[in-house]
This record gives sequence, C-alpha cells and structure tokens, in this order.
Amino acid sequence: MAEAKPASQKIWLVSNDNATMEVDRAVVERSMLLKNMLEDLGGADVSPENPIPIPNVNEAVLRKVVEWCEHHRNDPVAAPDDESDARKKTTDIEEWDQKFMQVDQEMLFEIILASNFLDIKPLLDVGCKTVANMIKGKSPEEIRKTFNITNDFSAEEEEQIRRENEWAEDR
Amino acid sequence: MYRSGGSGPRNRGSILGVLKATELDARSKLPAEIMVTILNYLPVADQLRCARVSHRLREMVYDDTRWVSRLKSMGCWDEREARQRFEESVRRRREAAAAAAAANQANDGKKNAVASSTIFDATVEQQRRQRPASEMRDGFETMTIGTSDPAEDPAAYLDVFKRVKSIRGGARQEYGKIYKALAPFYFDLAQAKSHTDPIVFKAFTDPEQQAQMLANLHKFAGSDWSEGWAVRDAKLTAMMNIFEAAVLREFEQGYEFWDVDGRMHRYAHVLHTLNGAKTGIELFIQKHPLFNDRDMVHNPMDCLNQAFTDDVTLEPSRRFFEQVLLKVNEQASILERIFPDPAVVFWGLTEKVAEDIIAEYTTPMFDEAHERSILSYLKAISGIFEQTMRFFQSLTPPKGPGEEGEIAKRAKQLTLKVFEPHLDLYLQEELDFFTKQAEIEVSQWEKKLSEQDSSLESFYMSNINRSAEKNDFLSSFKKVIMMPVTVLPNFPIGSPFATTKPASSPAVTANGSAVLTPQSSRPQTPGLGNEIQGRGSSPMPGAKAPTDELAAKAAIMASKLEGIKSLFSIEVALDLVHKAKSSLGRAAVLIPLGGQVGGEAKEQCANIFIALVRILGQRHVKLGFDMAVDHLSQYNPRDVSDHDQKGVAPLVMFIELVNVGDLISQMIEVFYEQQLAAPKIADKNDFLDPSGLAKKKFEQMLDESVAAGLNKGIDVLMDEVEYLQGTLQQPTDYNPTPRIPVDDGNHRMSHRATLGSMAELDIGPTPTARRIVDLVRSHTNMLIGTTEKSMLDVFNGEVGQRLFTAICKHLKRQRVSTDGAVKLIADMNLYSDYVRSLRNQDVLPYFAALRELSQIYLIDPGHAKEMATVIADGDRFGGVFRAEEVYEYAQRRADWYQVRRSVERAMYGMDCLVM
Repeated sequence: MAEAKPASQKIWLVSNDNATMEVDRAVVERSMLLKNMLEDLGGADVSPENPIPIPNVNEAVLRKVVEWCEHHRNDPVAAPDDESDARKKTTDIEEWDQKFMQVDQEMLFEIILASNFLDIKPLLDVGCKTVANMIKGKSPEEIRKTFNITNDFSAEEEEQIRRENEWAEDR
Repeated sequence: MYRSGGSGPRNRGSILGVLKATELDARSKLPAEIMVTILNYLPVADQLRCARVSHRLREMVYDDTRWVSRLKSMGCWDEREARQRFEESVRRRREAAAAAAAANQANDGKKNAVASSTIFDATVEQQRRQRPASEMRDGFETMTIGTSDPAEDPAAYLDVFKRVKSIRGGARQEYGKIYKALAPFYFDLAQAKSHTDPIVFKAFTDPEQQAQMLANLHKFAGSDWSEGWAVRDAKLTAMMNIFEAAVLREFEQGYEFWDVDGRMHRYAHVLHTLNGAKTGIELFIQKHPLFNDRDMVHNPMDCLNQAFTDDVTLEPSRRFFEQVLLKVNEQASILERIFPDPAVVFWGLTEKVAEDIIAEYTTPMFDEAHERSILSYLKAISGIFEQTMRFFQSLTPPKGPGEEGEIAKRAKQLTLKVFEPHLDLYLQEELDFFTKQAEIEVSQWEKKLSEQDSSLESFYMSNINRSAEKNDFLSSFKKVIMMPVTVLPNFPIGSPFATTKPASSPAVTANGSAVLTPQSSRPQTPGLGNEIQGRGSSPMPGAKAPTDELAAKAAIMASKLEGIKSLFSIEVALDLVHKAKSSLGRAAVLIPLGGQVGGEAKEQCANIFIALVRILGQRHVKLGFDMAVDHLSQYNPRDVSDHDQKGVAPLVMFIELVNVGDLISQMIEVFYEQQLAAPKIADKNDFLDPSGLAKKKFEQMLDESVAAGLNKGIDVLMDEVEYLQGTLQQPTDYNPTPRIPVDDGNHRMSHRATLGSMAELDIGPTPTARRIVDLVRSHTNMLIGTTEKSMLDVFNGEVGQRLFTAICKHLKRQRVSTDGAVKLIADMNLYSDYVRSLRNQDVLPYFAALRELSQIYLIDPGHAKEMATVIADGDRFGGVFRAEEVYEYAQRRADWYQVRRSVERAMYGMDCLVM
C-alpha cells in the first residue's frame, strides 16, 4: 500500500515537546531532509507509535511549517543549485506567504531556523525576504534594535564605515 | 547551540530577562549563512547600512565575491585582469617584504611603520580592509571629486564603465564608483512619470550623451536584483524605446534627404551607442534604394532562351552578377561614412541582396530549367552556384574587425542560403541523371550488340589478323587510352569530351584517310547511329593498311577498338567515365560549403562514383566477360575451317577483353585517385568507405571474370593444341621413310641429298611444334601485364601442365624412328625453351623430363641393354615418369618389335637377377 499510493501515505512527526501530528507524505516531502530520509528508509515503519522526531522544532513552529507545506504541496520542485543570475534577481513575496509571515519576530526566526534545518528552500527564502523587508530603510541603530545586536563599533569606527560607503546613500 | 531548548519559558520572564536572553543569543540567533541570504535580498544602500551594525555584519557585507558578482552581472569583471593584478601585487609585496626586512635590521625602532606603509603602497586597492581608518578615507577622496555637476564633467558619468578595474578585494570600491555615478539617475528614471521627467535628459542634452547614459543605465540595471527590479527594468526599457524611436525618426528624415555625412552619420552613431543600432540598420537595409532599382531587373530566362536545348548560357547571369557586385560594393564606402561599424551593416545588406535580388533571380531560372530539361538544370545550378560563390567572394566589405577568412566564411554562408532550397533536388537529380544516362548508354550499346550478333563470328575472324603485333599495340593502346584520363582534371566542366580529341586528332593528321573519320567524330557525338554507320561504311577500317600503320599507334587503336567493342567497349567505358566526371565536377563544387550540405554533396559524389562502377562493372564489363566465356566454351576447333591464324579466335577475343578490362580498371583507379581521393571525397584509408568498397568490388568482379575466362581459355587453348597435333602432325614427321625424301607440303626440306646430310639439315623442329608453340606463346604473351601477376603465374603453370599432358598424349599416338628422334628432340627442345620463357619453376621439370624421354628414341636398336637402363633409371626423369611409363613410351619406337625382346630381357632379366 505504501508503495502504491505514496502521495496519500501518512507520516507522523513529533516535535521536541512531544506533540505528534499526522501529515500526508507529499506534504512532508516539501522538506528535502525528510524526503531523502523517507526515500532511504522506505518510510514503511513510520507509525503513530513510531513517529519521526524533529528535535529542534517545537509544536507551534512545526504546525506553522506544516501549514506552509500543506499550502505549497503542489508547487513544482525548483531545480537544485540553480545559481544563475535569474535566481539572484529577487522576486516578490506572494500574497499568501506575506500573510503567513505576519507573525512575531520570534516566530519568524523560528520558522526560518526550522526551514533551514528541514531544508525547505522556498520557505527559507520567503522568511529571509521577510526579514530583508524588515531591515530595508532602517538605520543601523534600528537594525540593531530589531535584531538585538550589540554595537561593537566605536562611534569613530561607525562614522568611518558610513563615509566609506557614502556613495550608496540616498540623496 | 544557537537555540537553547528552554527559550520559551524565559520569554515569559521579566523584561530584563528577555533582554538578557536575546542579548546572549543575539550574535548567533540566525546562523551566518542565513544572514548572508537575507543580505542578498537587500538593496545596495541597505546592505551598506548593515555594515555599520556590527563587525560580523560588516564582514559579510564587505565580502568581495558579493561585489564581484555585481560587476560580473554588468559584464565589467575581467577575471584574467584580476588575476594578473593579484599576481603582480603578490610579487610586489614579496619584494617589499624583502626590502622591509632589510630596513628592519637597519632601523629597528620604526620597523612597523615602514613595513606596513610599503605594503600598502604596493597593494593599495587590495588591502583595503586592513588599512587604518585615515588611509581609507584618503582612498575615497579621488572618487568624491567626481561628484560635481554632470555638466562640468560629463565624462565621469559617460565613461564610467571604461574606468572600471578588476581588482580582487576592490570590487566593492569599483562597484561604488559605478553606483555613485549611475544609481541616482537610475532610481530617478524608475520613478519618472513621463519621458521628459528624468534628470538624465536634463543633465545631458546631446543625443550622443543621452544615448551613452541610457546604455550605461541599461548595463547598470543588470546589477539590480533587489525587490522591484523588474518594474524598474521595464521602465528603463520603455524610456530607451521612446528615445530610440525619436532618434530613429531623425535618422529616417536624414535618410530621405540622403544626408549621408550629416544627420545619417550622427544618428547612426547615436543609435550605435544606445544599443548597437540594430533598428537603425534594419531600417536602412529595409528602405535601401538598391531594392527598387530598375537597373537590377534582369530576366533570368535569358540564360535559358539564348542557349540550345539541354544547355545554358551563363553570360547573362554573369552580367547580372557583375552589376549587382558593382552596386553592392559601391555601398561599402557609403556605409563607412554613416555607420560606426559598417561591416555589420554591409553584411546585413548583402544578406538582403542575396535574399531579395539573387534568390529572386535564380529561383525562377532553376525552376524553368528543371522543367525544360534536366541537363540544363544541372548545368545551371552548378554554373550559377560558382558565379554566386565568386560574387560573394569578390565583395569588398568596409574595413572592420573581421579577420582574413571573414569574407570566405560569409560567402559560404550566403551562398548556402541562396541555394539551400535547390540543393537536395539538385543532388538527387544529378545522381539520377548520371545513372539514367549511363544505363541508356549501356543498353543502347547492348541493343546494338544483339542486332549484330549474327555477324559477330565472322567479325572476330577478320579482326584478329594482326594479333602478332598485339603486344606492341597493347602498350600503345594503353598509352593513348590512359592519357585523357590522366589529364582529365584540367579540363573545364562543360566539355568532357574535349579530352578525347587530342588523342584522336594526331591520328587524323597522321593518317589523313577516311579510315579514321568515324573514330574522330564519335567522341563529339557519342550517339549510336554514328558508330553503326561508321562500321557499316568501313567495317574494318584498319584492314586497308594492316601493318605499316603501326607507327600511327592511335590509328591502330582506332581499328582495334572496332573489334573489341563487340563484347564490351572501352569507348562506352570512357564515355561513362567522362559523364561521371562531369557530374562529379558539377556536384563537387558544393563540397567546399562544408557542413551538412558539403557532406551531402560529398556523399552524392561518392554515389555517382558507385553508380559508375556498378553500371560499368555489372552491366557492361561483366556481361561482356560472360559472353566471352560463353563463346569460349562453345568453341570447337573442328568447327572452324581456318586454322591458319596464330590464335584461337574466341580466346584472343577474350584476352583482348582482359586487356580492355584491365584498362578500364586502371581508368577507374585513376579516376578514383584523382576525382575522389585527391579532393578528399573518399578516404582511401577508410576500408568501409562505400566508394572504395565499390571499387574493390569492381576489381574483384574483374578478377573473377578473368579467372573464369582463363579457366575456359586454357581448355580451349588445349583443344586447339590437340586439334593442331591431330591434324597437322604427319606420321612421317617422327618416322621418316628411310631413304625416301620426306614429302610434306609444309616442310621446307623436300629434298635429301645424302643420309648423313639429312640428319644435319633436318634437325629443326616440326612445323606442328612450331605452330603449337607460337599459338600458346601468342596467347600467354598477350596476358602479360594485364592482370595480376599471381593469376598470371597460375595461368602459365596451368598452361604448361596442360601442354605437357597434351604432348604426352600426342606422343603416345606417334611412331618414332631413330631418324625421326632428332626431330622429336628438336620439338621437345622447342617446347622446353618456350616453357622456360614462362618463368614458371613448377613446370620446368616436366619438360626437362620430356627432353630426356625423347632421348630413348635416339638409341640405336643395337643397344637394347642401354635402353633398358635408361628406361629403368627414374632419376633421369626427375621423378616425372615412372619406369612403366617410360616403358610405355619406348613402345612408340618404330622398331619396337625388333628391340622389345632384348630390352625386356635386359630389364626383367636384371630384375630377376636381383630378385
């Protein structure tokens, strides 16, 4: 049965806080990590009693990630390692993703980390773009505040870097 | 590590706790690779602001690859230049380090300052990041100078890309220079509402400068990949289109007034700076007056109408091409005055000329020719093709970046373009045409042959009179025939038969008689009627002067041809070869085109050759050989009344055929070498090459036919030998009536003076033996040099063997007296001499044995005992004859019954003693 209809096959995941959830295999396979794992193991012995542990992700984040995967379950798989110019050019975030990413910053970062860990490239991209949009137009101080980064420059050093890159400042 | 599992509860703690927790995590909250990804999505300005946030972020932002990839996207990063610079700087640094080390020792106190300053001098741009802050500022002072008003220093903006250097570690600075110059214009333009808004058009007023700036911005847009780039890019493209349209309008107006050096020149250059002036060139070519020129209208049908049927005159087309060439070359100088890179425009124009003028001219002509006659079609294609090729090759494009082979390459391309639609059909037709012509030729000839079949036999008889001179004739024949083939390639395509004329014309002058008229006229019109008529009027042209014409070798050849033609004709072969040559010549013109068409043409050339060999071999030569062999097997010496000649008619015929076949084979070989192997149509070393295979097959067929024929030929020859032996040998030859003069009509010795003198005078071989040797020799000699040596050896060996058998058989039927033995010995010597001339070691012992054998007849009846010794002596005969056999021969002694008793006694008596 598992081999006949892998798309509708169920997979069970368990978060690091012991929440088990049932997900379609097609949805799970948005994650390259899990996809490869399932292909290696065959996935037949995954059961509600023997779920796949996702050690770094808690329930809330895992549900969020699964939600994204559900929505994007039919997306075409992007060609791997497409490092051409075309990929460099940033594309806009689609509307559903924009809404999806309207979460607090903590959650946003968690999603990014989880998608990085699970190797879900499109989700990671959306997350990074969202963060980039948060940074856009902000002063360094504001950026530090947003990301909780300590300023390890002296005032002089910072001024030096500013002057060095004066050419990029909007007039 | 970067994320502790217990972050959740801590979030619910005090604000201070939260702050602390995040502080602790802050650096590693997001791993570096994710930070880099995020930075990648940021516009340049934001990226550089991020650099001010912390050391870690600055590292990421300043990473050189990030900026190199931006430069690359604008096409202004030269990896080679960068490497060169890098190596240079490494070298200089090493030198500097050495110098510094030296300085250190001398000057210990200030070593740091000195050393570092030297290094920085050497690698100013490269070592930026390690520089002290103050120096960095200095580095950028040179750049800030350029921030002045564009009106004052427009070059700083216009030529910004030309000043970019590829420096490893300095990519950010280089990009900064470009960004500083162009980004303001770029973002301004992206927001502009109408085409009058953008500052670019206000800051720069010259259309040249505007074009340059737009081109720069377009290039710059390539490095913009932050969000919204698509919209900005579209906007820029739209602006450029508006600008281009405006410039193009100006250009067009200039065009209408033919203002070559004024507006056309100016706006062509503006368009060129903008985007290579593609649209301008298009417009120029599209509207070029050349295409509406009344002078250029030629009637392509002239080429066909002014020529005879099956022919084309290429004069009108030559005039046409000349005129077009003149006009097009005229344009070259004008283009030079208008366009910055006239070569491109010129080739564009030429392409259109090829399409609109030349193709328009040629296509209807080819179609018409194809309808009228295939031959003229073939000629037209090949002729026009050459003219077209020459036309394109003699174009004089304006000086440009094109290298030496440019014209030739373009010419090939353009010619191919014009002829592409015709080529497939042409190549097919060429092959079909040749095959058909060759088939017709051969079948016509066959038909004629069958018509004359009845008169064939008598015809053979009449033509072998001069077989004595065969060897001489053959060598000259070969020479004459080979000549036209070897000189073939030098002759123009149109006159394949011109080559045969020099061969026959000397004969005409040498002879001057009517004898050669049919011969010399034949090459021009290879029609059959002429041949028949020629034969009818003088059936044996050479018969008039049989031997003294030998000097005029060509004349002999002519008369000889008449005879040989009966089974297969070297002339037909020559004709076919000429036809193949002309077809091949036409098709081979296409080969230099290369590529697919060249390959196809090559293949078709090979196919023509294969067809030639096939028709010539299977249809013509093979048939001839089969018939000759047939004739041979039907030969019965008893049916032939006249045995005076020195040859067996069908065998002579056949051997002649072998000669001719060999000539044809050599002709094919030469043809292959010169027409296929030399121009690399066929690869001689490729054993799978179809034309090579066909040639081999032909040779093989020839060899087989020859072998089969020779096999039959030996039978026939021996039949003839036996017949001669049976009919000519007088019983008295070896057994002369004692004391009575030999009365033999053929014998020169009719009188015998004394018994003693008879022995002296009569030691010559009998006429029968002479005849036989002459007969056999004439046939074996004819074969020399015609076929493979090994086959010849086998043939000669076989002839020797069979001759031996025939002689033995003959001997057993004779009575030999002691007197006659002299003659017999003479005969045997003659045979043996002849066999020695064959140079075949295998048969020599047989004839040596024969000679020994003939000795036994010489032994006086009184010496029976010695005779017995001789008979029993096996060594004497080299093992060829056993004692019983010799004994059998001894029985043929005329006086056998007298000596028998004593001989037997001597033999068996001795035997008894031994036993």
